[in-house]
Amino acid sequence: MSMPEVTTAAGSTPSVPVHPSWGAFANRLTAQLAFNEDRFFLILAVFIGIFAGLAVVCFRITMEWTRLYLLGSALTPSPWRAFLAPSLTGLAISALIFTVFRGSSGSGLNQTKAALYISNGYIPVRTVIGKFITASLAIGSGHSLGPEDPCLQIGAGLASAVGTRLNLSRKKLRILGPVGAAAGLAAAFNAPISAVLFVIEEVIGHWSAGILATVVLSAVSSVVTMRLFLGAEPFFRIPSVGVIRWQELVAYSVLGVLGGIASVVFSTAIGWLRPKVKASPKYVQFLCPSIAGLLLGVIALAGFPQVMGAGYDFMDQAMHNQYTWEVLGMLAGLKILATTLSFSSGTPGGMFAPTLFIGAMLGGAVGTVERLFFPNLTGSVGTYALVGMGVLFAGFLRVPITSVFMALEVSGDYTIILPVLVATMFSYLISRKLQPVPALEQITRQDGLYLPAMEEEREQEVLTVEDAMRPRPANILDSQRPVADAWMFVQGTDEEHFLVRRPSKSIAVISRRDLKKLMDAGDVRPLEETQTLAVVPYLHPDEDLQVALRQATNYPLVPVLSRANVSRILGVIDLADIMEAYRKSNRQDATRE
Amino acid sequence: MNLLKSDFIIREPLLVSILVLITILFSALTHSYSHAYDRRRVTLGVEWFERGKQELGNGRPAAAVEDFRTALLYNPRNWDYSMHLADALSQGHHTEQALNYYLGLWQSQPNNGPVNLQLARLSAQKDDVPGAERYFNGAIFGDWAENASANRLTASLEMINFYLERGDSGHAESQLIILSDNLPEDPQLHTRVADLYSRVGDDQRALKQYRQAAQLDPTYLPAVLGAGEAAFRIGDDPAAQTYLSNSLRLDESNAAAKNLLAVIQAVSLLNPYQRGISDSEKAKRALRAFAVAGNRLHSCATGPGSSAAASMEPFLERGKQLKAMANARFLIQHPEEIDTLLDFSASAEKRAQSSCGEPTPDDSALLAIARRRETEER
Repeated sequence: MSMPEVTTAAGSTPSVPVHPSWGAFANRLTAQLAFNEDRFFLILAVFIGIFAGLAVVCFRITMEWTRLYLLGSALTPSPWRAFLAPSLTGLAISALIFTVFRGSSGSGLNQTKAALYISNGYIPVRTVIGKFITASLAIGSGHSLGPEDPCLQIGAGLASAVGTRLNLSRKKLRILGPVGAAAGLAAAFNAPISAVLFVIEEVIGHWSAGILATVVLSAVSSVVTMRLFLGAEPFFRIPSVGVIRWQELVAYSVLGVLGGIASVVFSTAIGWLRPKVKASPKYVQFLCPSIAGLLLGVIALAGFPQVMGAGYDFMDQAMHNQYTWEVLGMLAGLKILATTLSFSSGTPGGMFAPTLFIGAMLGGAVGTVERLFFPNLTGSVGTYALVGMGVLFAGFLRVPITSVFMALEVSGDYTIILPVLVATMFSYLISRKLQPVPALEQITRQDGLYLPAMEEEREQEVLTVEDAMRPRPANILDSQRPVADAWMFVQGTDEEHFLVRRPSKSIAVISRRDLKKLMDAGDVRPLEETQTLAVVPYLHPDEDLQVALRQATNYPLVPVLSRANVSRILGVIDLADIMEAYRKSNRQDATRE
Repeated sequence: MNLLKSDFIIREPLLVSILVLITILFSALTHSYSHAYDRRRVTLGVEWFERGKQELGNGRPAAAVEDFRTALLYNPRNWDYSMHLADALSQGHHTEQALNYYLGLWQSQPNNGPVNLQLARLSAQKDDVPGAERYFNGAIFGDWAENASANRLTASLEMINFYLERGDSGHAESQLIILSDNLPEDPQLHTRVADLYSRVGDDQRALKQYRQAAQLDPTYLPAVLGAGEAAFRIGDDPAAQTYLSNSLRLDESNAAAKNLLAVIQAVSLLNPYQRGISDSEKAKRALRAFAVAGNRLHSCATGPGSSAAASMEPFLERGKQLKAMANARFLIQHPEEIDTLLDFSASAEKRAQSSCGEPTPDDSALLAIARRRETEER
């Protein structure tokens, strides 16, 4: 929206007068050197990235140490360790959560979102420390959970702690949470683009240049920091993608469908079990992490220790064709079961890594089956595993854009784009159709919180000006027309306000009452000279109706102009039109529901 | 006055300084923490690697695979661990997994000689000819950390064997020609290359390589014996006799040399195509050859427990028909019939070779004469 009147004849804005005195110079210097929160915020984003990167390094190492002590140094833990470690650690975790770190159980992502929307981005330091300790114990002992969610929360928590101590404004504090979250996730994932997109797509829901700059700065600095300590190597060896034949897209579509169904099964299982655990007596809730650990031990003893922990090493093996399709399928199913048990029991930890694990196994299975039947057609099984990761990510977490970019970023190969697009879209659409409420949304609702669901917001129909505007009125006045002429011109219509074209090509409005007053006073001047014209801004048909609403509250009538030719009036809009459009839309929504 | 909360000029640099200080402290702590863990990781990696090597040495590749995978968990970038894991997978007959693993290594180092050689071997096992050729060439022209020339030679020889096993003598010979140009002065190696030339049927080049080997080490029996055999195959009987006699001097009990000398002796008595002999001598030799073949047929058809009697019947019948011309006078008058007798003798010997047991030196001589004729005619 713009106002033609504002622009000067020369097409430039008037410059600020400069006073070449020493006093003014000193004032300007002081103003420039004085504390500037916006500028400082960018610097702060870098530091938050570094802190989050360092915290993630410490977290990962603690997790590894824990695994060494609890499960031993072997890739596959010995049976008695696999059986006892998760259950006994589960008891210790419960003790910590029930006594010292009450806010540390569950998903870090939802807690971060809750902090952002409920407590202005404030996350208590105790929660951060609690999440660090309990999540590293849980994942290190073999609970089927991932480190990404906790890292995200640790990052957000650190940002919150720093922001609070620096006495930043509430507005900045609220942005600082996602900045820290992006940094934590980027370092945990070793993928800054995916982290930034995820935070924008799932946590904030919208972006502006300011937010994007800070989030990117923090994500990049955290990844750089993390790589300084843990190296730049990805968590798994990336398979070669190679050229994808068009026939293979059929197999990728099948993968998308299977991924969508698996996502629904996964989120339904969590949605079913979690409320049952939460509704159980306190002592049962206390025992739940331990019971989940015990069941995990049983799965491990049954010959599938791969489902324990985050499982990155086994994703690597799946990507490099180290399992048969039967084993891959079993692992995908058992991981859903194991993660449902671990997560629903309230054990701290995230669902990102398990989601990737399930996707990798499912993708690997589809790729291996295809290779079995069409040996000359299939590319590498690893490509299917990579795409499978994106598929589950899109289906379960409902972040399709992040999923596509994640697969691209992880593979570093642009040729993967087609299969990823096809498969993720299938998975996303199937998951949306079968499970309208996303898993994360479901969890927050189970906790009694009603946080903004980004997917729902994205899906909401946006009303535009053309949905509410009326057709161009027949009687548009010319400002050079004398009052009497104008009065005659508007006779025979019941409109209360009339548009007036001015020589400067701007448009004004005059009311019937003002025109009558001029008539009664015997004014013979042209309308332009009567000082009764109120210049109005204009709108375009595709503009958001919310923008129109803002204008319509200040002006009785707003013209709608063509974007191709701003002197062409397409229609008009007023407050009543806008309200009617909203009413109509609500009625349609109600009918649909 | 609280400097951190004021809008005073120094607030921003002050805050940044504090943040830098915290960063330094936090980084130092993280560094020592990660350093301690890195040390532990390295130790664990070495421990599991050694364990894996031990398991592999004890012939338990499955256990070794698990150990090497664990070693790689602690040191994922260790090339040695990766190579051993791939080797263990290969030894455990997990060909597909090993192939994938080597492919992963190849992607990071496409010029790595050992990886190319292993990939070539696995591709050869899978009968993937283009893959095997690509990786064998990668191994021959790739980088080797140690014993580069010896390893390249091994790769070349394996590639030649690969072609020979597939019956592709043409490619095998081409590779042999490339290889023999750059051979080091090693009699064993020259002999090995000569053996390969013999396998592809290039006896001239085989003899050349055997000769070089014998010159480098005149006491190296396989070279001397091989030279004798190759010389005999190309029809250079004097040279063959010399080499075979030399080989007998090196090993008096060498039955192969003795037998071949006897065959050469027989050839000199039976070959009617020898240059410079009279027509009557030609006829005599043809009659001798006919008699040798007849004896072979007879003993083969009537020998105890013979199962080849029925298949010999047409030859015996044909022999009876040819007997009419089997006299010296007739053959002197009709020298073209010498060929008829020799053709029959060669066919009979060839037939008998497959079902009538070991040939005598005379029988072998007849086969050799037939072979030489065929070669000359070609």
